[in-house]
Amino acid sequence: MAFEVGIMTFVERTKDRTTGALPSPYERVRETIEQAQVADQVGLDVFGVGEHHRSDFVGSAPSILLAAAAEKTDNIHLTSSVTVLSSEDPVRVWEQFATIDVLSGGRAEIIAGRGSYTESFPLFGYDLQDYADLFREKLDLLLRIREQNPLTWQGRFRAPLAEADIAPRPHGGTLPVWVGVGGSPASAVATGRLGLPMALAQLLGPITYHQQTVELYRESAARAGHGPDTLPISINAHGYVGRTGQEARDLMYPYFAQGMAENNHQRGAGFPLSRLAFDAQSTPGSGLLVGSSQELIDKLLAYHDLYGVNRAIIQMGFGGMPQKDHLEAIERLGTEVAPVVRREVASREGRAA
Amino acid sequence: MTTGTSLANVDAEPAAGTGGQVLRVVVVNGSPNERSKTVGLADVVLDTLGRSLPIETSRIDVYRLGPGFTGAFQREDVTPEVEAALRLAENADLLISATPVFRGSYPGLFKHFFDLVDQYALANKPVLLAATGGTDRHALVLEHALRPLFAFFQALTVPVAFYANTGDFDGTTLLNPRVYGRIEMGLSDVIDLLKARATGTRAGAGGSTADGG
Repeated sequence: MAFEVGIMTFVERTKDRTTGALPSPYERVRETIEQAQVADQVGLDVFGVGEHHRSDFVGSAPSILLAAAAEKTDNIHLTSSVTVLSSEDPVRVWEQFATIDVLSGGRAEIIAGRGSYTESFPLFGYDLQDYADLFREKLDLLLRIREQNPLTWQGRFRAPLAEADIAPRPHGGTLPVWVGVGGSPASAVATGRLGLPMALAQLLGPITYHQQTVELYRESAARAGHGPDTLPISINAHGYVGRTGQEARDLMYPYFAQGMAENNHQRGAGFPLSRLAFDAQSTPGSGLLVGSSQELIDKLLAYHDLYGVNRAIIQMGFGGMPQKDHLEAIERLGTEVAPVVRREVASREGRAA
Repeated sequence: MTTGTSLANVDAEPAAGTGGQVLRVVVVNGSPNERSKTVGLADVVLDTLGRSLPIETSRIDVYRLGPGFTGAFQREDVTPEVEAALRLAENADLLISATPVFRGSYPGLFKHFFDLVDQYALANKPVLLAATGGTDRHALVLEHALRPLFAFFQALTVPVAFYANTGDFDGTTLLNPRVYGRIEMGLSDVIDLLKARATGTRAGAGGSTADGG
């Protein structure tokens, strides 16, 4: 499997560190589409937009931003990172992403997740008590829609479908559906059982954080009869590619720390991240993807060796990093990091075969 | 269920090679939830146990015992239904103490149940410890809170105790095979002891038992 490298964003709004001003949703969506364009131009494989339902994020409707990105790009794959499927209607999700697929000539995909934020549940009238049942049922429906049309289906959380004609069909005949997994053993087991590709979300912590997640996923896939080695795994983590390792850390830290304090909270209380803690997160044994191009190459290969991941999606610029710095990192990722990692992984896998 | 005592007979597979005595297992459940991970964990323990020997199971949901329980400060204050639940626990062949972790320990009502249990009723009685919590940070509740409680009773507490966190479950279904593995290991340690302690009879295993082996 060819190694894929991509970027993702939540389109967060974080106060300017000097003026204290919040960027407008307009500014942020324009920046987001430009990031997708540059990512496409430098040959990156994937562009992702996450879903959050709060005014400190613009990305409540990733499908619309991805559709806009589709119009400005030629080759890059467009994914939700993630679609909070538990509080969505899978029929509508399918319609939107199949439309993006048609629009982009077959470049759309879905990463379905439970979401780490819970705002969408009350917003769309769902009960958090049903957290597990909602995701299981809605994922089932989404996969059935992908399998066949028209579809007859019945569940607990939406009206039954009787020979329902759900359109359009995707440009390439099918839509990739990944499952976003944060590390709970039950998610890994359930995803493996379904034989679906798994996108591992890692915020902070050691690079080995997901070792058990991956083991459980592979064991469960094997038990269910899915060829575990053909199931792609992606690592989705924060990071930044600088001209030098030191520059990358110095540049990323203040914005990332501010984003953690302002945007990464559920109950109004931020997450203070000291420079000392951040520097520890950027050592070779940690999961954060920050450093020089060479450091990033080394860490992505370390991820590949550890978990057999075939894809890395890096969330760069989190916390209001200026667009210029963000775009420079996208360019380095596409031109200096990705080609080396793709080539190196291909040769390692060739040797192993 | 309104009495708080649910008699869910799990009729064991007629396990080969056992002398026909049935192990009377009573779960004391400390969870207030209708859909409970704690019950999900206890059910896996029961299912696993039921594969090795014939068992008859009942469960006491302490949060469903009502005012006759919560308003009772002494054993003599309890209503007849609560008295029946206490005796059920006291007379079990194996007691499974299953509880969620609240504020770093077992919930107050769970403790209240054992405050009403006779001081010597659990002496030398096999007791299995199980707990669930939000994360593995709470796993030592088994060793630091539950084990001392049953040490007071001079109970025969089984060495391996079972813990599962929220992430091990899909809803109330335990998915993590590592936890299943630990349950199998913990039970196999004491399976001979439990077989020897079985005092129930096939006939007494509940009206729903089929052929009685």
